[in-house]
Amino acid sequence: MRFQARSMLAAACAVALLSTGCGTTSINAGSAGGPDPEEVCEGPTGDYTIGVSQANVAEPYRVRMNADIRRAAAKVEQFGEVQFLDAAQDNSRQVSQIRTLITKQVDLLIVSPNEAAPLTGVVSRAYNSGIPVVVLDRKVNGDSYSTFIGADNERIGRQAGEYFADRLLPDGGKVVELRGLSGSTPAAERGRGFRAGVRGSGIEIIASADGQWLRAEAQSKMDAVLKAHPRVDAVYGHNDPMAEGAHLAARSAGRAAGTEFVGIDGLPTPSGGIKAVQRGRLSATFVYPTGGEEAITAAKRMLIDCEPVPEKQTLPTRLVTPENAAKVYRRLNSR
Amino acid sequence: MSSRTTDDDPAGDGSAPTSSPPAGTAPPAGTGRNGEWFGGLDTLLRFQSFFGLVLVFLASVVFSPRGDDGEIIFLTSENLFNLVRAISEIGIIAIGLTFVILIGGIDLSVGSLLGLAAVGSAVLLTADDYGVLAAIAVVLLAGLVFGLLQGLAVALLRVQAFIVTLAGLQMARGLARLWSGGETVPISYGSGPGEAPLAFSLLGERTFNGIVPVPALIFAVLAVVAVAFLRGSAFSRHLYAVGGNEKAARISGVPVNRVKVVAFGVCGLCAALAGIVHAGQLNTGSPNAGISYELDGIAAVVVGGTSLAGGRGSMVGTIAGALLLGVLNNILALNTVDTDLQLIIKGLVIVAAAALQRLRPSR
Repeated sequence: MRFQARSMLAAACAVALLSTGCGTTSINAGSAGGPDPEEVCEGPTGDYTIGVSQANVAEPYRVRMNADIRRAAAKVEQFGEVQFLDAAQDNSRQVSQIRTLITKQVDLLIVSPNEAAPLTGVVSRAYNSGIPVVVLDRKVNGDSYSTFIGADNERIGRQAGEYFADRLLPDGGKVVELRGLSGSTPAAERGRGFRAGVRGSGIEIIASADGQWLRAEAQSKMDAVLKAHPRVDAVYGHNDPMAEGAHLAARSAGRAAGTEFVGIDGLPTPSGGIKAVQRGRLSATFVYPTGGEEAITAAKRMLIDCEPVPEKQTLPTRLVTPENAAKVYRRLNSR
Repeated sequence: MSSRTTDDDPAGDGSAPTSSPPAGTAPPAGTGRNGEWFGGLDTLLRFQSFFGLVLVFLASVVFSPRGDDGEIIFLTSENLFNLVRAISEIGIIAIGLTFVILIGGIDLSVGSLLGLAAVGSAVLLTADDYGVLAAIAVVLLAGLVFGLLQGLAVALLRVQAFIVTLAGLQMARGLARLWSGGETVPISYGSGPGEAPLAFSLLGERTFNGIVPVPALIFAVLAVVAVAFLRGSAFSRHLYAVGGNEKAARISGVPVNRVKVVAFGVCGLCAALAGIVHAGQLNTGSPNAGISYELDGIAAVVVGGTSLAGGRGSMVGTIAGALLLGVLNNILALNTVDTDLQLIIKGLVIVAAAALQRLRPSR
């Protein structure tokens, strides 16, 4: 026991000495400028390892993103190894996972950051050490990455608003908004866009509650809203699970009929929003593409085709109604 | 007093001092240092976390992927320092937790307290234009006070530590959200108003000496200080005494309440330090930082062989436990092991460590 303590002490001292040996601090940023396209692109003869750093796999949307990446990569012979890491909504964990991927010398990094500012440093570190970086869905600051792929939350919110104003409630009406977690950027953007979309129409947002992106939370918030407001014409949920939670609450209050429920995300999975539209629980949803397939396309262009990729790719959204739901579902699962 | 260090020791309260040296690294109260240090299985179990660490380390060397020019990636200095950097926050928390767990307590507030300290660091450095040292001092003081208050509630109000610190967990999270306005506070560097001094960025991507990340260095220094502090100091003997048998400790004149309050204070101080490191590493103070870190910290302490019942365990064990979990994380990630499988493996290691601990008294 004592010898053990002593050796630990010695080891720790050695570390301390090693570092004080120089006594100065230095920036260890590596060579600036990002990967050299000629060097990273070995063409179709190469064999590439791709690392995927995912913010979390607690949200169905992100599980689907990983699935889309996996499926697209399986179609590219040279992308034999794709490693998925789950940061479990923890910035610190995501940073160290990306550091491990850098050490492991992956050929390309796909990252969907938990938050922008904390991940910016390590993403530019990867990029500056010569690894092409595809940033998916959520942004990082600065421009030390190869390409950003994602949909536009403000635009999707505006389209939802316009759908309410033009088609769902052309004569105006009372709308309840169930917001995503306060403080998260998509919640702010989906809320702001919606307000822009309904401006000038007769639509009134009578209640706006924080459903934290969660079905159960939205359900209990909606319960309270229904008690306070005898008339609700439609519900705008910042995502499909919250819109479904609101539907549940309205149903148990006997007020589901005559109320429209609209969500966002439109996941093409059995429990996702498109199926909910098909089954009539939601009136509509908007597909918020995961970008998984597009990320692999970009990776293929950089590593195999030796072509440049656009700095930014904004993915188009799509309105899903009972008329086109089955078609959209099939198409998104056949790619 | 008698040296009742193993609460579940069938031999009773240290009645066989020659054959059963006191558990833990630091000598417990009233016991000489004349035990046998080597004795087969017993020794193996006493040093379990240390042997476990060596074992996992060697396995990692064997199973490490090779780089392009054949080097063992696991053993590259970059990887090893990254590994220590990655566990630095949990490691610092675990060091603080060891004090509390040794007295038979628990502190669930450390993760939230880390978030509060991270937010505090960010706000003080940017919006409030504090200097680096002043901001660090204020945050450390806040952590210390938070811990001391929890200790007072445990010692004087006689509320269970689990409850007190569960409440502390909530309150620290609430304070962090209030202080930050619910938003992540970014830290930008410069000399203008609202910008943090460049010195604070040492905790982030920059390294000491070109190789050693500063968070790893802070963890190493704190580890040395904590080990030294827990070896032979009077306070250390009191910790073990209170954890082993509070009543006996009280009768033999140990200032039990003061020991408890100080232990919780030290734990809060460590959590605040981890929060400062967190803010520096990520250049932000996020009010949601540190969620479930208390569980990771407890896992490191348990893998380190410290008993949650109190009175038994060691600081060296905790540090070895934190390193073991860090090495395990690292080698699993290097080897592309599926994330879900990683969780299962880590769970098994924690259970195995705890089970080994149970073997000891029934040797």
